[in-house]
Amino acid sequence: MNAEPILPRLVVEDLVAGYDDTPVLNGIGLSVDAGEIVAVLGATGSGKSTLLRCIVALLRPEQGRVLIGGRNVHGERDERDEILRGVGLAFQDAALLNSMTTAENVALPIIEHWGADEETALMLARMRLARVGLGRAGDKMPSELSGGMRKRAGIARAIALDPALLLLDEPSAGLDPTTARAIDELILDLRAQTDMAIVAVTHEVASIDTIADRAVMLADGRMIASGTLAEVHASTDPRVQAFFERRLVDDGARGGLVGELEWKT
Amino acid sequence: MTSAPIHVPVPKVLAAGSFRALRRELGRHPTGAPLVLDCHELESTDALVIARLLRIVAEGRAAGHDVHLAHLDDAARRALANVDPVILEQDTAPRRHPLEVVGAHALEATATAGQIQRLAAATVAGLTRPFGAEGIKWDRTLRQMALIGVEAVPIVVFISLLVGVVLALNGATQLRQFGASIFIANLVAISTTREMGPLLTAVIVSGRTGSAIAAEIGSMVISEEVDAMHTMALNPVRFLVVPKVLALVLMMPLLTVMSNLAAISGGYAVGVLGLDLGSDAYLSQTVQSLFMSDVTTGLVKSVVFGVIIGLVGAHRGFAVRGGPEAVGRAATSAVVTSIIACIVANACFTALFYYTE
Repeated sequence: MNAEPILPRLVVEDLVAGYDDTPVLNGIGLSVDAGEIVAVLGATGSGKSTLLRCIVALLRPEQGRVLIGGRNVHGERDERDEILRGVGLAFQDAALLNSMTTAENVALPIIEHWGADEETALMLARMRLARVGLGRAGDKMPSELSGGMRKRAGIARAIALDPALLLLDEPSAGLDPTTARAIDELILDLRAQTDMAIVAVTHEVASIDTIADRAVMLADGRMIASGTLAEVHASTDPRVQAFFERRLVDDGARGGLVGELEWKT
Repeated sequence: MTSAPIHVPVPKVLAAGSFRALRRELGRHPTGAPLVLDCHELESTDALVIARLLRIVAEGRAAGHDVHLAHLDDAARRALANVDPVILEQDTAPRRHPLEVVGAHALEATATAGQIQRLAAATVAGLTRPFGAEGIKWDRTLRQMALIGVEAVPIVVFISLLVGVVLALNGATQLRQFGASIFIANLVAISTTREMGPLLTAVIVSGRTGSAIAAEIGSMVISEEVDAMHTMALNPVRFLVVPKVLALVLMMPLLTVMSNLAAISGGYAVGVLGLDLGSDAYLSQTVQSLFMSDVTTGLVKSVVFGVIIGLVGAHRGFAVRGGPEAVGRAATSAVVTSIIACIVANACFTALFYYTE
């Protein structure tokens, strides 16, 4: 008897996508296995968040496919919803439903998809919140939480249904170093205990070095480096080096106006 | 061969007045020859002066002049070194032909109609499954019924009462001349139950609820809450639209009945207290004048108005793009559009009932 082939949790093939005729992603390919943490790097506006939106079917690509567990996420609505039940996405600003308490936010997918009664779902939601260090914040409204707490609550909601694939949009951006480090540790801990495939979109160099097994770097919607973290660090592309060394890329634009404007007799 | 450059001196101080004069002067020169703004007299090259010079260059180039600067001092050079040349590229989108504008609006209206139709289909699909895991969210629906219905009762009753009073007073001035004051009861009862009751209720509910629906959903769109629902495989229409539309469908007829009663009470007060019509006479005249069909047509209309207010508000909310300002615009647009749509639907209903009776 043949064993079921072990498919990568996430495969992105030759993805081309954009908004209103403005291309943002151009030929992106990515594969993430179970138990692997892949960082998607790039400067602001490089297409990282657009890639995430394509993966969770919020944006339909013009070309290419996104396979989660071997199934195309951009197919029929029912199939898409079934696939997405195995995916958790923590938004950059958490995107918690402001009309509900934090615990109710986390309990919502548990009630809707696992059919749990409200009390049980809230109990499980508090367990998830405790997992991200928010055991006592369940009764607070999202507006009462600090930025770091909201991010952690967003992660708690993303892991509510024990997803096979966890997507994190800028998990530690804008946080103080201690909180950012705590979130990195949480991500490592989740991987160690559940063998989730994790994709973290980030531009925090310290965070990347702590959590990522592999990395993909985007610039202007194209992949300019991919491989193990060491391979990406060793890339000769000046944009990759500039990113890790936190320096400016010489794009030839600086100083251009003087020469362009001045009248030469 | 290029023509000889035209040198235009920039004054010592490029203040608002001299800036305007310089722009006017440049506009007078023919295109073709390079225009050189000679800055050797210019004393101050602060940020505002640099911005003014760049604006003159950008405008000149957009008009077809080959504009340059000469004799810049070191401070000006340093300031310009940090400027991206893209700043000189002015938005030169050509003005659209009026017919093109009309066409664009027509296409947009068609697209909006299609979006509302799809939203309506998704809402109907949600309403067809009353119970079960994928069924109607009854807890949310009950909450919406309280918000949309119960909380609107005081304002609906108050305004309808006053409209009843006004109708009766206006009718009285005419009918009294013919000794037919008692027919005020007919006027108020029929006009209220058939037209004014449902329409007044629709206008009030549009203002209270249509705007609230658009604002609530719109702010959820901009804070990515709707996207989050999609990624959790939760259908936003089932959570956000179905309970509101269902609450409107259930509460609009009840509010309309209250509006009818309040307006008739207003007419009664004028008739009995102001015109000395007997209480029994007024009430029996009201009952005699009304047919069941008058009341039911009003109630049918009110259900349709409820659907319109709910769907328009939700559509405007989901269409929000940008920031909080767009939420405000969506709320305003929801009220205006739903009131217009209700009045158009009311006219269609009235014509339909007139020709089918």
